[in-house]
Amino acid sequence: MGQPRVFLVDDHELILSGIRSELAGSVDLVGEADEVDVAIEMILERTPDVVLLDVHMPGGGGLAVLNAVSAKSPTIRFLALSVSDAAEDVISVIRAGARGYVTKNISGPDLLDAIYRVGAGDAVFSPRLAGFVLDAFSLEGVNLEAGDVDPELDQLTPRERQVLRLIARGYSYRDIGTELTISPKTVESHVSSVLRKLQLSNRHQLSHWASERHLN
Amino acid sequence: MALTTPPHAVVGTPYRPYRRGVENAILGGVCGGLAIRLGVKERTVRIVFSLMALVGGLGILLYMVLWLTRPRAGEDEAIGHRLLGHRELHRVLIGLIAIVLCIFLLFSLFAPNFGVFTWPLIFSLIAAIGVWRGASSDERHRLEELVRSAPLIGAPASRTRRVLWLRVILGVVLVSIGLRTLRHVRGFWGGTTPVLFGIIILVAGVLVLLAPWWLATLNDLSGERRARVRVEERANVAAHLHDSVLQTLTLIERAAGDETAVTRLARNQERELRQWLFEPERALDGDGGGSLTSQLHALESEIESDYGIKVELVAVGDCATNADVLALVAAGREAAINAARWSDATSISIFAEVEPQAITLFVRDRGKGFDVDAVPRDRQGIALSIRQRMLQHGGTASLKSALEVGTEVQLALPRKP
Repeated sequence: MGQPRVFLVDDHELILSGIRSELAGSVDLVGEADEVDVAIEMILERTPDVVLLDVHMPGGGGLAVLNAVSAKSPTIRFLALSVSDAAEDVISVIRAGARGYVTKNISGPDLLDAIYRVGAGDAVFSPRLAGFVLDAFSLEGVNLEAGDVDPELDQLTPRERQVLRLIARGYSYRDIGTELTISPKTVESHVSSVLRKLQLSNRHQLSHWASERHLN
Repeated sequence: MALTTPPHAVVGTPYRPYRRGVENAILGGVCGGLAIRLGVKERTVRIVFSLMALVGGLGILLYMVLWLTRPRAGEDEAIGHRLLGHRELHRVLIGLIAIVLCIFLLFSLFAPNFGVFTWPLIFSLIAAIGVWRGASSDERHRLEELVRSAPLIGAPASRTRRVLWLRVILGVVLVSIGLRTLRHVRGFWGGTTPVLFGIIILVAGVLVLLAPWWLATLNDLSGERRARVRVEERANVAAHLHDSVLQTLTLIERAAGDETAVTRLARNQERELRQWLFEPERALDGDGGGSLTSQLHALESEIESDYGIKVELVAVGDCATNADVLALVAAGREAAINAARWSDATSISIFAEVEPQAITLFVRDRGKGFDVDAVPRDRQGIALSIRQRMLQHGGTASLKSALEVGTEVQLALPRKP
């Protein structure tokens, strides 16, 4: 795969120019927008591979862009970008369909790595996100509401749990592969499967987090 | 909270517990809720209540009592319970007694022989006032909407002059018919139905006359309250920005030449602001001390400000602190300081997980690492002291390190039941 075609959405000019200069040359920047409506229109027109999406924007925020675009063009992938790493924000954009979440203080190379990963259809889990997921899928919760747990969606396999723990401990995918003696590709597939569960599960804590969202 | 009662009655399937309905409510959801509880059609319950209302207004009283004493679906507290917990209870009680006396006086003037069955209606009226005062904001909003959309009474009705005249005439006619009906009541036990109709007509008349005015005052009052809250909130935010953000900006300006100082200041401010914005409970706690997570957050800020290194803290679950937990945090602190001093890494990851059987804590850096078998004396000392500390409290500590990959200290503490 060549350079992914990337679209930037952020309402802060400083952040936009910062990201632009960090990514220049490494990806194919196809456009940027600082408003929800404009962003939706331009993204649908230019169909980038990856949209780097600010979560907090006036006019419905990144969530509005995500919902509008993925309804019409589900192949466009989103990487959410935000100053906040509060659970409500992270979980709500992931559940709306974003394939990953990074905070704005991420380093240039890490951001680039995340964009390539999302472009390739994989998921990007920060240590913090891994922590949220472990919390939301905690074993204690299962015992409490044993009645309505769908084992396929509402529980993590022991392997997925292991992988998430290592991500939370600051391991890269490659390190995790070495640690568990599996290939990085297998690590990827575990993470993707966790992402799917995160998006589809009905566990109380997830819907709770997703609805508690108070900023835009 | 998370009760899974259906929004509508499923005929033949009773549900527990009895909560007032929300989606199938006409007034207070009493009948709707009862229908869900008993598994019958809403209409059946409503007809039964209407019939009971004809029996001296008993149905109405029962309705109001249930409205006051049963929580609404999705709420934890009944209106009556909320009223009793109110701080100004004695004032409410005095008000109620005054109302009862007024009504009593009014009746002895205009309808000296009213029947005993009038009392259910009077109590229902008082209960209605109670409902209005004690309703949750959600329900209050619904009731206000209901009153507002009522014909003749609601706000839209007060706009044109013709409607105003119509209202005044209708109101006066209704009030006089009501009073006249009440005056013609004869006998102590008899005349239930005239009393019932008399009061209903009277109340309707008063409502038609006065409700628009009353609604307008209500709007003014709540608007005023909202404005006041907004001003207070703004002052609060301004004070906080002044105390923290402005101060830090001044410090940053002064330290403009010193890169590490600026980074440290910015990071401290960022963490503090983030906490204030997104985790207000913890910010209110101050240093908190009470739980493992708050201890770890304190550790995070300590390392970040003392060593100017980024700490990525992830905590899953939480528990109260005791001597063992504090020892675990202290061991983690030594490990983190160690990493900050020696690893040359740009960030440290700290991961803690509280499970039913054990607490685990990992401190990892992706710095230069070292050969575990050829450790310099001073570092071995630290590793030993970490291990010693954990062993004393029944835990374990292990260390993994590889050159150019990084170091990880793994701590585990079994939890006593």
